[in-house]
Amino acid sequence: MSPHARAWLKWALGGAALIALPLVVRDRYFLHLLVTAGIFVLLASSWNLLAGYAGQLNLGHAAFYGIGAYTSAILATKLGVTPWLGLFAGGLMAALFGLMLGVPALRLSGPYLAITTIGFSEILRLVAMNWVELTRGSLGLYGIPPFTPIRLGNWLEIEFRSEISSYYLLLVLVCASMAIFRRLTTSEFGLSLKSLREDEIGAASIGVNISAYKLAVFTISAFFAGLAGAFFAHYQRLVSPDTLSLGETFTILTMTMLGGLGTLVGPVVGAVLLTFLSEGLRFVEDMVKLDVRMIIYGVLLIVTILFMRGGIVGLWNSLRSAGRAEE
Amino acid sequence: MELLRTDNLTRYFGGLCAVNDVDFELASGEIVGLIGPNGAGKTTLINLLSGVFPPSSGKIIFKDKEISRLKAHQVNSLGIARTFQVVRVFKKLTVLDNVLAAAVDRRRMGPWGLVARAILGRGEAGEARDRDEAHRLLEFVGLSSYRGELAENLPYALSKRLEIARALATNPTLLLLDEPSSGLNPSELNGQIEIIRRINRQGVTILIIEHVMKVIMDISQRLIVLHYGQKIAEGPPTEVYRNPQVVEAYLGGETNAEH
Repeated sequence: MSPHARAWLKWALGGAALIALPLVVRDRYFLHLLVTAGIFVLLASSWNLLAGYAGQLNLGHAAFYGIGAYTSAILATKLGVTPWLGLFAGGLMAALFGLMLGVPALRLSGPYLAITTIGFSEILRLVAMNWVELTRGSLGLYGIPPFTPIRLGNWLEIEFRSEISSYYLLLVLVCASMAIFRRLTTSEFGLSLKSLREDEIGAASIGVNISAYKLAVFTISAFFAGLAGAFFAHYQRLVSPDTLSLGETFTILTMTMLGGLGTLVGPVVGAVLLTFLSEGLRFVEDMVKLDVRMIIYGVLLIVTILFMRGGIVGLWNSLRSAGRAEE
Repeated sequence: MELLRTDNLTRYFGGLCAVNDVDFELASGEIVGLIGPNGAGKTTLINLLSGVFPPSSGKIIFKDKEISRLKAHQVNSLGIARTFQVVRVFKKLTVLDNVLAAAVDRRRMGPWGLVARAILGRGEAGEARDRDEAHRLLEFVGLSSYRGELAENLPYALSKRLEIARALATNPTLLLLDEPSSGLNPSELNGQIEIIRRINRQGVTILIIEHVMKVIMDISQRLIVLHYGQKIAEGPPTEVYRNPQVVEAYLGGETNAEH
C-alpha cells in the first residue's frame, strides 16, 4: 500500500472511530467528558499556535475563552441573538481582544510578555466579577439557550440539548479547526512563525515583518479560543468568571506541554489525557478534601520540562526513530 | 554605478558615538572590506545599513532611495541581506527549513495573505519552486548532505555557511557579511573565500567585515577603515595597509606606546 493510501486509511479509521464512539459508549457522563476534552483540544491547540509555534508566551489565554463565552451568552440572553451567530461573534470578539493584546506584545517578550498577559486576563476576570448588570457577577450568567435545532425539511430535526448531539457539533468544530491549524502550521505562514520564535532579529533579516506576524497570530489564536468559549456557553448554559481564571490557563498550558509543545498532535493528546485524568482524581479529592488536581498538574509540568521537553509526542517520536535505527 | 551611499551617517549609544559622520559609497558588483580594530563601529555600521536600528543622524541611500528609517524586514525586501557576527540561524529548524523560511516571497504578501493562502490549501511551505532554489543554495554552500539536520547540530563553520545560504535565498543585490570567517580553520577559510567570490560573480555586491588578513587581502577590491567610529582611510588593500593612520590605529602610534 502506498504511504498516501495508508495515511488516508489512518484518517478514515480515526474519523469512523470518533463518529462511532458515542453510539458504542452510550454513557452520558462519558460523553460529557468527551465534550469537555474537545473544548480543551480547541483551547490547547490555539494556545499552542501562539506559544509553541510563534514563541509568544501568553499566560492569559483563558481570557479569550471567557470573552467568547460571555459574548455569545450575553447576545443570546439579552438580545435574543441565535447561538449559531453567537458562536462566531464570540470568536470574533475574542479575536479583537487578541489583536489588542498583540499590541503590547510588539514591544515585550519572554517574562515581560507573560506578566502582561496575566495582568490582561486578571483585569477581564475582575470586570466579569464586578460588572453585575451585564454579567451578574460571581453568580454567573445562567439560562443561556442551547444551540437552536437544525431542521432539514419536515422530517428531520436535530436538537442540541443532549450530550450526543453536542458531541457531534463539537466534533465538526474541532475537526475543522484542526484542519486549519494543520494548514497554517505547515504553510509558509507557519514557517514564518517558527522563524520568529527562533530568532526575531534573524527573522527580520530575511524579511519577516515581526509586528504584523505577531498581531496576526495573536488574533487567530484568540479567535479559536473564543469559539471554544462560545460553544461552552451554549453547552453548559452557565458562564461564570471562573472561565477567565488563571487556573484555566494553567490547565491549558499543562495539557499542551505534556502532549508536546509546538506539535500539532501534542495538545490533542494532552487535552484528552488530562481531562480524563482530572475526572479520575475527583474521587481522590473527595476522599482527601484537597485540590489534588492542581498538585498533579504541577508535578506533571515539572517532570515534562525536566525530562521530556518534547512532551508525549516528542517521546513517541524519539522512541520510534530509535526503533528504526535498530532495524 | 552607485548602489549604496551614506551621508554623514552617525549613531550614538547614550553618550558613545559608535559611528561618527561616516560617508562612503558602494558601486554595483564590488567586494568591499570593512576593517578596523575592535570597537571601531563596524558591526554598528552593518546594523544601520540593515535596519536593525535607525541612525541618530545622516542618511543611507540605496538604489537612489533613502532607507535610513526603514525597518529590517523592509530593508531586506528592497534587496539587502546580511549575516551575523554571532550566528543567528533558526536552531530548532532543519537546515532546509532555515533556507525555505527565507525563500518565502514576502514582498508580495503579508501575514494575512499567507494565512488566506494556507487555509485555501495553497502556499504549503517549500513549494517545488522554493524547494529547488533551497536545494540549489545548500548545494552551493556545501550543505546538501545536512539538509534534514537541525541547525543547532551543525558545527560552527557550517552554521556560518547556512547563514549565507539563508541570506541568499532572499535574492539580495547587496550582501553584508559580518565576520564570515571568524572561528574557521585554515582549510575552511579557502572554501569560504571561494564561496564569497562565487556569490560576487553572480552579480551580488558584497560588504564584508573581516579580521582575517588573508581573506580581506584576497578578495576585497577596496577597503574602508573605521577607527573609533570614524572613517580614517579608504582605497585598494595594498595602499590602505601602508597608510600611516591605519598602521597607528592597529599597532598604536608612538604617543600611545608611551602609556
